[in-house]
Amino acid sequence: MSILRAEHLEKTFGGTAAGSARVAALDRVDLAVEQGEFVAITGASGSGKSTLLHLLGGIARPTSGSVLLEGVDLASLDDDALARLRRRRIGFVFQRYNLLSELSLVENVALPLVLDGVANARAEEAAHAALKAVGLAHRAGHRPDELSGGEQQRGAIARALVTEPAIVLADEPTGALDSANSRRVIELLMQLVAERRQTVILVTHDPGIAALAGRTIRMRDGQIESDQRNVSSGTASAATPPLGGSPAGAVSQ
Amino acid sequence: MNLSRLLLRQWRKRPGRALATVASVAVAVAALVATWVAADASRAGYQRLAETVEGVPSIDISARGGGRFEATSLPRLADIAGVRAVVPLFFRPTLLRVGEKRVRELAVGVDVAALVDAGLLTLTAGRACEEANEIVLDSALAEGLEKQIDDEVIMFARRSIRRMTVVGIADSESLKWFAEGGGVVVGIQPLEQMSNAFGLVDRVRVVVAPGGSRPALLEAIAKRLPAALLAEVPAGRAGMAEDILHSANLGLDFVTGLTIAMAFFLVGNAMLMNVTERRRSFALLRVLGATGRQVQRFVTVEAAVLGLVGSVVGAALGLAAAGPISVGISNTLQAPAAAFTVHPLVIPVAVALGTLVAIAAAWWPAREAARVEPLEGLADAPPPAEGVSRRFLLLAIVMWAVAAVVMTLVVWERLPPRAAVPAGILMMLAFVATTPFVLPSLCAACARLIPERWRIERTLAVEQIIRQPIRTALTTGVLVVAVSNAIGLGHAIRDNVDDVRGWYTRLMRADWMLTHAGMVAGGLTPAGPQARLAEEEVRAVPGVQRVEGIGVATGRVAGGACVVVARDIPADRPLPIDPVGTTEAELRQALERGEVAAGTLLARRVGIKPGDEVDVEVFGRTTRVKIAALVVDYTSGGASLLLRRDAASRLFGLEAADIVLVTAKPGRAAELRDSLRQIAESHGMLLRSFENVQAFINGIVSGVVNSLWAILGLGFVVGSLGVANTVTMSVLEKTRTLGLLRAIGMTSGQVTRLVLLESLLLGVAGGLIGTVGGIFTALLIQFASQPLLGHPIRASLRPSVVAINLIAAVAVTALAAWIPARRAIGLDLLESIAAD
Repeated sequence: MSILRAEHLEKTFGGTAAGSARVAALDRVDLAVEQGEFVAITGASGSGKSTLLHLLGGIARPTSGSVLLEGVDLASLDDDALARLRRRRIGFVFQRYNLLSELSLVENVALPLVLDGVANARAEEAAHAALKAVGLAHRAGHRPDELSGGEQQRGAIARALVTEPAIVLADEPTGALDSANSRRVIELLMQLVAERRQTVILVTHDPGIAALAGRTIRMRDGQIESDQRNVSSGTASAATPPLGGSPAGAVSQ
Repeated sequence: MNLSRLLLRQWRKRPGRALATVASVAVAVAALVATWVAADASRAGYQRLAETVEGVPSIDISARGGGRFEATSLPRLADIAGVRAVVPLFFRPTLLRVGEKRVRELAVGVDVAALVDAGLLTLTAGRACEEANEIVLDSALAEGLEKQIDDEVIMFARRSIRRMTVVGIADSESLKWFAEGGGVVVGIQPLEQMSNAFGLVDRVRVVVAPGGSRPALLEAIAKRLPAALLAEVPAGRAGMAEDILHSANLGLDFVTGLTIAMAFFLVGNAMLMNVTERRRSFALLRVLGATGRQVQRFVTVEAAVLGLVGSVVGAALGLAAAGPISVGISNTLQAPAAAFTVHPLVIPVAVALGTLVAIAAAWWPAREAARVEPLEGLADAPPPAEGVSRRFLLLAIVMWAVAAVVMTLVVWERLPPRAAVPAGILMMLAFVATTPFVLPSLCAACARLIPERWRIERTLAVEQIIRQPIRTALTTGVLVVAVSNAIGLGHAIRDNVDDVRGWYTRLMRADWMLTHAGMVAGGLTPAGPQARLAEEEVRAVPGVQRVEGIGVATGRVAGGACVVVARDIPADRPLPIDPVGTTEAELRQALERGEVAAGTLLARRVGIKPGDEVDVEVFGRTTRVKIAALVVDYTSGGASLLLRRDAASRLFGLEAADIVLVTAKPGRAAELRDSLRQIAESHGMLLRSFENVQAFINGIVSGVVNSLWAILGLGFVVGSLGVANTVTMSVLEKTRTLGLLRAIGMTSGQVTRLVLLESLLLGVAGGLIGTVGGIFTALLIQFASQPLLGHPIRASLRPSVVAINLIAAVAVTALAAWIPARRAIGLDLLESIAAD
């Protein structure tokens, strides 16, 4: 059974004010993601890939169509219920890290648990474990502005994982990083998929990174242009491949 | 870690933002405390002033239909709440013989020792009367008669001549409230005995306890009295104190209400900016799963904490400022010094109110924060432009409508004048609520005056203002209220003062005035038999050009107490009073026919109008007279009936002049002083120069006016601080934008100009809107005060008041923007670009 399913998703912007143009960002998109899949969404700017990610993550609502996460229709949830679902079942990783600069790294990672009412001690214990998993245990007490970009992004991944979500959504997570840090971040995500059967959906411009995923969805003009599975990579059973270069073994579906 | 720690970290990371918010609350609460204490000081000052002028607030009980009544017919009254003392009074005219001098005086029978013990009569020397042959003399009379303690005087009474010993000298001021101008105080039983009227009293005066309500007490007393007795506010005492207090209190209530409104704008704006600046943080929290309610609670808790801290700081600052303000107001009012006291509720109420206002003001920003789209957390775009919703417009229209209806009902006298206060405040709030709809256009229009070479700064400044019309309206709201307030009340105060000055300048046209102590101030005697002699003696003094006598008597008209003023009205001089709705010539003719003119306030109180024929009772004699016209008259609070002396003599037997106005021949005023003083002293009267009287009345008027100005000034200072604070917060909020502008090449001069221009545009626009509001407020006050005064006051546009306020508004905003502008150019580029 699919862990995440999108049916006839449509999202349009504008068109409400007099004279403003109506722009279709997504047009009848259907998608199903299985647990443990590592899915890369690619496409040119404005193709709708980020919009699709936002709809899948419940941080924007579709104009029509539905998104089902573990069988729950996100459209059926009110604002607060959707927020609770986000913090428990979805982990987000953003291009700009989006760590709160006022909090230490461990406090940032613990934040989703704190929002969920988990006691401080337990939340920080879980946060330390998540930081250890991403190799940042020694940086737990530092503030975001004391960390490198790569460390901040790994911290953001730890925050995304701390609630043991059903799915991790990453929007251009390497977009602001150099190649070495990009490699570490992607390795980390692939490791999650491999070791924890963590479902990851990642938006990227980089075809090299997309090729490392088990499945690549290419968007164009708000529609899925292609949906490919890469046999040798990005699945829960595949080994973590070396980064860089063209992926071998990518086959069309 | 919990969200409170996030709050603490946010404050620590950006202390300026939290401090500015605390400062806004502190300024607002300080203003509230200072205004409250200053208003209390003003009220106490007015009260003391009124008591000094008119005596202790009291209620008279007399026989219905006039004459004396049995003291035993009076029920027990001392146990009624609000009663300070119950004082039976017995009056009788008498003749004193001192050596060769014979002086007609009014003897007052009263329990002297009880009054002294109660602090209601002050003896400057000696003691209270204990024996039948002892008297206490008014200090002015004693001085005139050259009598001291233990001296003897002969007192002539009906069928008897008594040799009396002076045992005490009474302070003239402390006699005013009960002696009715009389200067000889005797024990009540000996005087009754001398008059062969055992057990009878002329009236019983009930003294109102401090803080007691005279109307409430009047009602309570009336319920206990037998049908033959009547309780009423003493004629001549009802007016000035209560009217000054009433209208001044309305002014104070209005100013206090506006201070609260300003505080709300100030705090509301601070909260709005505080939250808007962190929109991105809230969006991120929402993405991470914070519910709207959690975000709302976060903002509300922050508002409560900052509000509480700000309120405590503000209360302390307000208290520190209140002492000097209070003393200053007492000095301005020339009121007897009173200990500076703070109502025990001031601090707890101010702290609670400040915190509640902070929480209430944060409600809308908190709601907006809770509704932040999570997607915004991912976007680098600035928050979307504010729109002014139709609901907001509807709210403004409803506020206008409610305020207008209430105000109309006040003008039509369907609602009490006090209702004008909340209506006025609501109208001011509605006015500010309307500003978002006009402010952008007004700012854009004002921006056209900015030189073309600053077009970049001009464009950006206007864009900022237009982008957030509600925020801009809140920022300018403080200024709009301050300017409207100052211009509106400034005009109203000046117009009222001119009205009062015009009145007494017409009324008191002379160089010298002979009167009983307190006469000018409204203390009124029955017929003063001695004044006729004085009048004749004055006429004989060389250098005197004209003598005008004024006789005064208390009376009743149409069921209400009044003061009958009989005066000489020379044909060759303008009328001493200002007619309303008729010409001076017509009024003069009517007076010559024996008709009377009624004060506008009296007419309003008892419901009489020109052309009415009414029964007037004076000295127990009831006569029917015709009301010729209404006149502007503040004598005894406007409760006056004016007629010619010959008519008064014919109608009421009112012969004597209690006030003698003396006009000297040109250039000879000064040389009359000694002669007039001798005459005055020999008749137990006081001599006052016109300058003296003018200074006395000016002092009262200026005191009231200055105290209101002081509180208005306080409001303006608060407005200035508020604008300074909001501009500072605005710059803090725009740190990233300003950093970006600097990064792409904007010079420090351009950034300074941008901040200054934005602030100046707000200042000019706020000043202009405030001016319109102020003129409107002035007209409104005139309308609303008409029922209080009974006559319209001429309203006039005073360019100086408008110009001063407009210049002050612009100057305040320019100064307010200076420090933030300097801060803006000192920003670290990298830090400011990274700011979120």
